[in-house]
Amino acid sequence: MTEQPAGESLYRKEPKIYPRQVTGRFARLRVVSVWVLLGLFYLLPWIQIGGRQSVLFDLPARKFYIFGLTFWPQDFVYLALLLITAGLSLFFFTALAGRLWCGFACPQTVWTEVFIWIERWIEGDRQKRMKLDAAPWTAQKILRKSAKQFVWIVFAAWTGFTFVGFFSPIRELGASVMSLSLGPWETFWTVFYGFATYGNAGFLREQVCKYMCPYARFQSAMFDKDTLIISYDTDRGEPRGGRRKNVDKQEAGLGDCINCTLCVQVCPTGIDIRDGLQYECIACAACIDVCDQVMDKMGYPRGLVRYTTEHSLKHKTAHVIRPRIIVYGLLLLVIISGTLYGMTHRVPLRADLIRDRNALYRELPGDVVENVYTLKITNMDNAPHRYDMRVLNNAAVEVDLSRPLELGPEEVAGISVRLRLPRSAGQGVQHLDIQLQAADDPSIRKVIKAKALMPIEFGKQP
Amino acid sequence: MKKQSREIPGRWSQRKRDIGTVVWVAFLAACVGTFVVFAVLDPEALNDAWVLPWEMGSRLAYSLGFLFLFCVSLIASALTTFMIRTGPRRGHARGKGKKPPPVIHAPEDENPDLDLGDWK
Repeated sequence: MTEQPAGESLYRKEPKIYPRQVTGRFARLRVVSVWVLLGLFYLLPWIQIGGRQSVLFDLPARKFYIFGLTFWPQDFVYLALLLITAGLSLFFFTALAGRLWCGFACPQTVWTEVFIWIERWIEGDRQKRMKLDAAPWTAQKILRKSAKQFVWIVFAAWTGFTFVGFFSPIRELGASVMSLSLGPWETFWTVFYGFATYGNAGFLREQVCKYMCPYARFQSAMFDKDTLIISYDTDRGEPRGGRRKNVDKQEAGLGDCINCTLCVQVCPTGIDIRDGLQYECIACAACIDVCDQVMDKMGYPRGLVRYTTEHSLKHKTAHVIRPRIIVYGLLLLVIISGTLYGMTHRVPLRADLIRDRNALYRELPGDVVENVYTLKITNMDNAPHRYDMRVLNNAAVEVDLSRPLELGPEEVAGISVRLRLPRSAGQGVQHLDIQLQAADDPSIRKVIKAKALMPIEFGKQP
Repeated sequence: MKKQSREIPGRWSQRKRDIGTVVWVAFLAACVGTFVVFAVLDPEALNDAWVLPWEMGSRLAYSLGFLFLFCVSLIASALTTFMIRTGPRRGHARGKGKKPPPVIHAPEDENPDLDLGDWK
């Protein structure tokens, strides 16, 4: 770090960044985003839908419950679609308006924001915090610092607990915390996630974005000259310089930038937006908010630092709606609607017919051939169903089940199935289409393919 | 062409070295991973727990297990190399490099009339 004159040490000498508190449009937007996102995170596990936790990832049972829908391992395709949607959204929003994700939605940003609120609430504003850090360890300082640590740790522990509550029913989890009988793995993950929150949001903060996050390094690949990015209007601002309020800037040969350096001081990553787009910028828009306020005080129009595109800064026509955006947007729309359609129209029945490995077929008296299978059937619905089993393409087949096909909600069963064919039905392999259909709901229907083996009699054509 | 001729025969460019290291290290890690995973996990036993509609033989399970681990290690080592190569250079923490940290001062230093009010 370059040596700063003594009088300015208050602002830059400390390697720790003390961002100034900002108010304004984007700061308010971030507060809203923090409340919505963290509100969802902390409240969702406590909300019950249909007698079950609204969001629960039950790993041991390998079932995900999301808003009354049950997802089974077989619904793997939806996870893949979700990931594709997430990836495409990242492309779409980055091409549209830069790192919106970083500034408003990334957990790193959101939790850091809350940790800073706590810090500000206990230790005071920026000036007070810097003074407190520089001051000797008095009882007052110890009290404030330990109070902050205490609230941080409680908040982080609550975060870890909520996180585990997405994987293990949170009400039971809460009860076992109360009775101090939390299982070892629950304890481990609560502590682990709590510690990660504490470390990332309390200490690492924007260093994670600057040094550890790959997205920052990739962003340039997703930007083009029509992407809305936070930029300083060089043409309007330069030559920058301090001035008295009544000075005519045109006479003095100055631009609109008064060089107050507040945009640098509010920046959580400590960069100067006036140097142009930098990979450290997390698009939090704090510099826009603060510069707008300075412009108001100076009586200049707002927007010296603003969301704009490279093309409009160069006085060219900007095309925010451009082919790239339209293609990404359409793809996103198709995938999201396809996923929603698939999710609402999936058949909550899964069935596999597995041949008995021990025998090819069995010949029974009366010229009947029997093939034995195990039917692995899963009722993926939340209601019980009785199913009818029928062979579609061969009327001669007789179906014999070891027990009626009645399954409770989410029941998995292995049922022994015997298919009996008259010898006259054919020789060699018989391909059968077997239909399973719920008696109470004809839309729950599944056709499975099966092979039945028949003896081959040489010299006799089937 | 001119640039290529300046390269000393038998010496690799940085990009080549990077790619070679990434692939080879990922391969080694995947080998070790495959050994350990399948030492404690029987792919035959996996068949009962298998959820996708096609059946998986043990040979396919071994191959897919290895390829999966290889892909994951490749992604990890490629990203690591990328992050280190594109990150700040040596001396960054001591303020060296292309760009010095921005200079800041109290806003009222140069603008005595600026009324900072409550957010001073």
